Amino acid sequence: MVTDEDVQRFITAIKMSSTYDFTDYSDRSFKRRIEKLLVDNHMDINQLTLKSTKDKDFLEKTVRDITVNTTELFRDPEMWITLKYQILPKLKKNKSIFIWHAGCSSGQEIYSMLILLHELGMFEQAKVFASDINSEMLETAKNGQYKYRFNLGYLDNFDKVIKENPYNYEQTIQVDYEKYFDIDKVKDTITMKQFLREKAVFRKHDLVRDGNIFYSKFDIIFCRNVIIYFNNKLQNKVIELFSNSLYRDGYLILGAHESILGTVANNFDRTKGFYKKKQF
Amino acid sequence: MTDYKAVIIGGSAGSFQVVTKIVSSLPANFPLPVILCLHRLKHVRSGFVEALSIKAAMQIVEPTDKEPIKTGKIYLAPANYHLYVELGNRFALSTEDVVNHSRPSIDLSFFSASYNYKKKLVGIILSGANKDGAMGLKSVKENGGLTIVQDPNECQVPTMTLASMNATQVDHVFSTPKIVDFLLNLT
Repeated sequence: MVTDEDVQRFITAIKMSSTYDFTDYSDRSFKRRIEKLLVDNHMDINQLTLKSTKDKDFLEKTVRDITVNTTELFRDPEMWITLKYQILPKLKKNKSIFIWHAGCSSGQEIYSMLILLHELGMFEQAKVFASDINSEMLETAKNGQYKYRFNLGYLDNFDKVIKENPYNYEQTIQVDYEKYFDIDKVKDTITMKQFLREKAVFRKHDLVRDGNIFYSKFDIIFCRNVIIYFNNKLQNKVIELFSNSLYRDGYLILGAHESILGTVANNFDRTKGFYKKKQF
Repeated sequence: MTDYKAVIIGGSAGSFQVVTKIVSSLPANFPLPVILCLHRLKHVRSGFVEALSIKAAMQIVEPTDKEPIKTGKIYLAPANYHLYVELGNRFALSTEDVVNHSRPSIDLSFFSASYNYKKKLVGIILSGANKDGAMGLKSVKENGGLTIVQDPNECQVPTMTLASMNATQVDHVFSTPKIVDFLLNLT
């Protein structure tokens, strides 16, 4: 059994020996993931702490495992449908559209967005940036290759967002999956097409520590189901960064059950998970 | 006045009618927050809160992350998220991997609630087809809380309640009307 003090000692040791700082991560789920990591590695907390401070590669693996990396193609179709019909049409006239996927994990959200942009004829004007705290996750995202069986269910999401029109049930748009990705059932892979894989700029970035590293402002920032792992204080700091990194009328898109608390909420107009930056 | 601070209820297959019965029986001034952790079809998101709300006097919400836990509300774990009770009496959500093939996982919600409320928690396990919830109820018991399972003879699917009874010495095995009576006596 891991105590809260054990977790604190682990966090302090990592903070002293690396650039990672988990001080303001949310308590319960963080502790649970530490416990799981100990079971998976057959270690006790002292061994985990020691090895994470001495061995850089092991630390990266540890960070990968204690940050949450579950994501899926077109996760939460309602959000994508709102984006498709309410948000993106307003941006279509812009010469460039700047988009940041903050905490992109294994990258399914990036490819979902690229596919949607392509369908709307907005692919060329999009400038797409993606970041994650973990270098392994960034590699996975760049490679754009996923387990077919694991992602099979999410093809339904693709159909809902890309092929169907919720405002006109009689209309279905015929789009073959092969337009955007190759499915190899024998190798059990879904591989994104090269033109999608080449589009985004990937950078390692830690929301705890780093500011806006892309020297650009954004029309849309995605940060879905990332700040749920942070405490209030860190959440506010990160939202402040996003607020400063958005153009006026730009959109911050959070997860369906995330919200902005505190005074920084006043910077935005909210509709569901979409936060539109106010004009001042 | 009750000494308890919260009621947490876990259920899966066959629990919807029982849950409906319970939430429709509680008065608007019920003195505790009620946390519902139910397995739902992943892609069925909307409609569930509305369906329960029609019958309930208490307000039913799917909490957002970090939402403070308040008396007199029924909180339903959102589909496709784990629901934790954090220190400071707030909720926290997580998209971590499924646990016991489930997200939300009843065990995870029960673990965190029992850690936070200790002996001031009532944990109730209803009908269900897997063992998610059994370890959670055990944790409620170990932290001194009160444990109740729906009578397996009455459950549409008794796997979850039987697993809970195997995992720990539960305090009460109640039929649905008894569960309702028990809760109403807390007021």
